[in-house]
Amino acid sequence: MATPATERGTRVPPERIGYLADGPGRAAETALARLLDAGLVRVSRDGLVSAVHQGTYDTTTPVEVCILTGLTRPVRFDAVMRNAAKSKEMRDLHDRLRAEGLTRRARPRLAVWWIFLVIGGVLALASLTEPWLLIGTVGFLGSAWWTYGAKPLTRAGRAALEGASTSDRVIAVALEGFRGKVSGRPVGDLFDLPQSVVKTLPRKRKRRGTGGGTASGSAGCGSGCGSSSCGSSCSSGGSSCGGGGGGGCGGGGGGD
Amino acid sequence: MVGIKDLGVGIGWRSEIDLTVERLPGVDFVEVVAENLHIGHLPESVTLLLERGVPVLPHAVSLSLGGADPVDLHRVEHLGAVAEAVGAPMVSDHVCFVRAGGLDSGHLMPVPRTRDALDVLVANVELAQANLPVPLALENVAALLEWPDGELSEGQFLAELVERTDCWLLVDVANLYANARNIGTDPERFLDEIPLERLAYVHVAGGEQHGDIYHDTHAHAVLPEVLEVLDELCSRVAPPGVLLERDDNYPSDTEIASELAAIRAVVDKHRG
Amino acid sequence: MAEIVNENELLVARERLAAQQAELLKALLANGPAPAGFDEQRLGVERRALLSKRRGIVRMLGPAVADELGDRFRPLFDAYAVENPRRAGSRAREDAAAFAEWCRARGELPEKRKARWKFWQSN
Repeated sequence: MATPATERGTRVPPERIGYLADGPGRAAETALARLLDAGLVRVSRDGLVSAVHQGTYDTTTPVEVCILTGLTRPVRFDAVMRNAAKSKEMRDLHDRLRAEGLTRRARPRLAVWWIFLVIGGVLALASLTEPWLLIGTVGFLGSAWWTYGAKPLTRAGRAALEGASTSDRVIAVALEGFRGKVSGRPVGDLFDLPQSVVKTLPRKRKRRGTGGGTASGSAGCGSGCGSSSCGSSCSSGGSSCGGGGGGGCGGGGGGD
Repeated sequence: MVGIKDLGVGIGWRSEIDLTVERLPGVDFVEVVAENLHIGHLPESVTLLLERGVPVLPHAVSLSLGGADPVDLHRVEHLGAVAEAVGAPMVSDHVCFVRAGGLDSGHLMPVPRTRDALDVLVANVELAQANLPVPLALENVAALLEWPDGELSEGQFLAELVERTDCWLLVDVANLYANARNIGTDPERFLDEIPLERLAYVHVAGGEQHGDIYHDTHAHAVLPEVLEVLDELCSRVAPPGVLLERDDNYPSDTEIASELAAIRAVVDKHRG
Repeated sequence: MAEIVNENELLVARERLAAQQAELLKALLANGPAPAGFDEQRLGVERRALLSKRRGIVRMLGPAVADELGDRFRPLFDAYAVENPRRAGSRAREDAAAFAEWCRARGELPEKRKARWKFWQSN
């Protein structure tokens, strides 16, 4: 059931690919996908994730540990992802990727950045007759460049993404998310997840651009969890636990 | 009885492991805790199992049939409605009391094995049977303490219950093992005394030894000793069905599958 | 053949059984005196087992309260449980809610807990 580690290669761990592809949310999805792949957690039809009870847990990253620690009781699928994305462990991953030169501080991108470009263009035309307008032209083109925003991935980060292939189901989650598709097949199906569960996740953003575009749409990358307002440790993520509550006939209770 | 023969090997369906139950190989039937189901919107997983033709048997935990009060007919009605919703050939609850003196113990408490308790139990079972659409099977519970002044052995108590009410028996071999450890019940004598021809099916569950007490937790692995009690039972009668109960700390799919396989091995050994 | 139990005899049997069962549950759930003839040590084992099961259910139904109380959860719950044995007909969810309320009344939980946790619980 679990994909052998050798097959996955020793290049970039899936969780990092997830982070590079679409920020902390995707990295959290990838970490959960890895736990599912290794049979360390299970998901129920009503969308509750629970830890598989066993002696030792073969976790590979701090984010995975953080997710498992938060699963002392079943937690909703989407809440697991939210809590992990906001965790301190995820912030550490963010810092590590930055330190290793795979990401850089991204400038926020204004949705209407092209307006500056249009105004710059008009000014450029006008400056043919009124040369002093050139100063304004340069100003507006500068504004356009600034508001276009800097891509959060460095060249090295993009290169790391290039090598990733969706043939592995964990990497498929890293690149496309549980809500995405790989060769026309929903990624959730690769994990036998019911669509009702997968749809509790926020809709996957549309990809912008093509051709090596794995790096695009990664606006969330830089904005993850820099500030002190978010975060907190993983284990405290509340979340409701649905389910009957009635309890079965067992549970004589271990005394103490 | 029609429909209850050859249930095979099954597992208690729980919402936390619904996908696991659906995927496990060799699940011939399942049991659902009746109190956790709502009529009108069955869990998708239960509907799917029904569509596959897997029998679903409602198992109740709250009728308190061994309680001093007349059985609560609302609870009986719900159990019957669940049985009809899943097309079950039979339903079950326990030989126990849950509520008394205005309090709820939150667990299945053993009843005193006295004539008084038996008369009351018989009256409650008859009332429940009269209000159920399908036959009722009753299960022996695990006790941590023994009532004083018992007039009958547990086997005699159940045998007389069957004789007077014509109910079926659901023998929990883990509970039988627990009682052997905790209150000195003799499993062989128990099996000698109960009418095995009225055996509906068998429960197997895991538990944990804590000092000199065995706790029937349904959250630990099935002990080999419990499978030995199953083996003893199977040497006397071919049980129509055997069901594994797990209520907490669910292990991996593989581990659950191997517990089912171990149960099947014991059953098959005696089928020759 | 099964004997026919006379209605009156049945009523008397119900009363005697009711007294026995009520006495046992009171001893196990509400610190009542130990009923005659029972092994005291086993009563203790049963008492702890029932308490542990109830505590587990409340912890599962109210994870936020359990997390907030941390190490205090267990002693507080055990004190609450003896003071407030579960009434027949009550639901486990009501038990969990009553425990949270009991903690708030004793100042063990802040009053405005709800607003704080809304953020986590909303979808």
